[in-house]
Amino acid sequence: MDFAFTSDQQLLKNSARAFLDEHCKPATVRMLWDDARGESEAMWKEMAQLGWLGLALPEVHGGSDLGLVECSLLLEELGRASYPGPFLPTVLVGMGITRAGTDAQKQRWLPAICAGGARAATAFLDGELSWAPDAIATRAEKSGSGWTLSGTKPFVAWAHVADVMLVPAHAPEGLALFLVDPRAGGITQTPVTAMDLATRWVNLTLDGVAVGADAVLGAPGKGEPLLRALLGMGAVGAAAEMLGAARRCLDMAVDYAKVREQFGQPIGSFQAIRHKCAEMLLEVENSHAAVYYAAWARDAGTEDADLAASVAKAYVGDASRKVCGEAIQVHGGIGFTWEYDLHLYFKRAKALEVQYGDADYHRELITAKVTA
Amino acid sequence: MDLNYAPEDLAFRQATRRWFAANTPAVEPKTLAERKAWHRTMYDAGYVGMLWPKEYGGRGATPMQQAIVQDEMARASAPPPINGLGIGFIGPTIIVHGTEAQKQRYLRKMLTAEEIWCQLYSEPNAGSDLAGLKTRADDAGDHMVVNGQKIWTSSGPIADWGILLARTDAKAPKHKGISCFLFNMRQPGVEVRPLKQITGSSLFSEVFMTNARAESADLIGTLNGGWGIAQTTLGYERGANSLGRVTRYMTAFHQLVKSAKALSRNGKPLIEDPVVRAKLGKAFAELEVQRYAALRVLSALSKGEPISSASSITKLSYTEFEKRFFELSIEILGPWGQLMPGSPDDVTEEVSTSSGEPGTFATAFLWSRAGTIYSGSSEIQKNVIGERVLGLPKEIRADRVTKG
Repeated sequence: MDFAFTSDQQLLKNSARAFLDEHCKPATVRMLWDDARGESEAMWKEMAQLGWLGLALPEVHGGSDLGLVECSLLLEELGRASYPGPFLPTVLVGMGITRAGTDAQKQRWLPAICAGGARAATAFLDGELSWAPDAIATRAEKSGSGWTLSGTKPFVAWAHVADVMLVPAHAPEGLALFLVDPRAGGITQTPVTAMDLATRWVNLTLDGVAVGADAVLGAPGKGEPLLRALLGMGAVGAAAEMLGAARRCLDMAVDYAKVREQFGQPIGSFQAIRHKCAEMLLEVENSHAAVYYAAWARDAGTEDADLAASVAKAYVGDASRKVCGEAIQVHGGIGFTWEYDLHLYFKRAKALEVQYGDADYHRELITAKVTA
Repeated sequence: MDLNYAPEDLAFRQATRRWFAANTPAVEPKTLAERKAWHRTMYDAGYVGMLWPKEYGGRGATPMQQAIVQDEMARASAPPPINGLGIGFIGPTIIVHGTEAQKQRYLRKMLTAEEIWCQLYSEPNAGSDLAGLKTRADDAGDHMVVNGQKIWTSSGPIADWGILLARTDAKAPKHKGISCFLFNMRQPGVEVRPLKQITGSSLFSEVFMTNARAESADLIGTLNGGWGIAQTTLGYERGANSLGRVTRYMTAFHQLVKSAKALSRNGKPLIEDPVVRAKLGKAFAELEVQRYAALRVLSALSKGEPISSASSITKLSYTEFEKRFFELSIEILGPWGQLMPGSPDDVTEEVSTSSGEPGTFATAFLWSRAGTIYSGSSEIQKNVIGERVLGLPKEIRADRVTKG
């Protein structure tokens, strides 16, 4: 029983912190708010060189064969930096292809992902705003040797910069997952302007999008277990990012409470502020336990891995909202200004709450599992 | 990072589970003699005082083994050992700070529950501000004369001995004039009056000491050095028994689910109500996170890492969780959540309360109000976390200002 990071894991976390402190400063994030793509090609390439993009992908394809614990370490740091870009969906699609892809699909995508030459998006949310695999209304119909896809996929993060998109749809055989070019004919992309300018969402309509037989990931009709696994990993990854955002807000609040003076004293000496900070730390530490337990459970393949993923997403969603919000309260007026950086992390945490299943969705999954 | 249990811990768990399955009494021990007998059975099997060194009658076990035993006791709904305060906190204090003679005299009888111990710390006017205590111990040569009043004393009526904090220098700053004694409860001049709690039971008491006697040889540590000793005692109290507690909550959760399936409202089982389902999901998520956090603490303890200040986070976390959980439980159960033990037609399940006694969801709910007050209230824990973990500036307090 060892809940601490190994020295390699700690090294990875430290180097990620150092890299992002230098290359993903708040000023960098703000600059990218005004960028049409919203992310930095240079940073993506550097992340590839650092081995981050292939961290959990097979060594034979240029990766490092590590797991969700290591990815979560990185994602925590990325959330802490409010990093803008498709890191999480790219890693998820890479892991999906690793699990279920044909040799040709692996050859086509995995080396490119590892080298920073391909980005990916996950179009998991369906028309009725449901995350449940059995509620997917998007259809896949046989057409010659391939398929045509029709339906709507709202709030797909980073679809506008992706080279490949993973699209679940109902085929006659049952649920199937398709690797789709986001710029293929029949796809309409409508960008969304949301609270977090560093999370770019696109609403997609698929109107008879033609894909080849080789676009199916895994066997048609057998897509549900893979989709559930990817949703679970996405939930853990999003929770890790929220944890990072919350820790950043906590650190900023504590630092501020030490130097900001009112009534002739640092405000951190007042119990009203100190107790708030203590409650924030409690939520951050519990969130740490939730994220890394869930990541480890997935890597170790334990029976409770799905449950732990839902627990992490539901818990950390609530906790990070509370921590980031209370950080604004500790700061007072300055925390509510555009100029001050707190809202970068506050909004990042909010944007992640609705990705890979919101808390309500995961709470129902939990209840269904534990009351059966 | 590897959260698998080591093979030897798994084997130990299996053996422990078998023992409790075979030995847990079918009927809850009621009388003091019955409870002592059950304690003795567990002691003889090696399940009491596990963290104590072997030379003092303990098992010299690892924190993991201790956690496993507590977890298995919770799983088997086994009655707790009787001398918890002594074995969990007072004994370890004697082991760290006591003289050889004190260790020889007191430790073994504490472990076997031949002598029951209580803690004489809080006073009517010294709760969170414990260092403001007024009980006096005046030097009378070979002994001290003790006068004062203590309150919230668990096991007071059955205690043979107590660990006592008393003022031995009225002129010194308040933290520096306190001494710690091992104190005989069975003497003239000691009167114990049970206090009835909001649960209706009387597990606490008031203790009045009038010209009572504490032997000078029973001083723990140095004269006027009692405050530091009180801090170690509280330290032990905050670190212990994380896994077993979570297992008790988990048992209560499943009993709640069972009741939610059996009870109906608006013509359908409670369990089918989406609002109830959302509440259950939230409660379970919080409960699981308590378990993960407990594993994290256990991992740190196993490596010998100090967890003293961080244990304030653990205590704050589980006691506040317990309040939310039982509030939610009786909210879900509606009027059924109001029932006290012994109500006719009770269809809800028996649950174990944080006092260790079984009860209803209502008694567990009432008991949950105690956890955020005893052993340092939530507010005190937040002060500790703020100052010692986050490094926030200390508040300016009148009693910290040195006068003239």
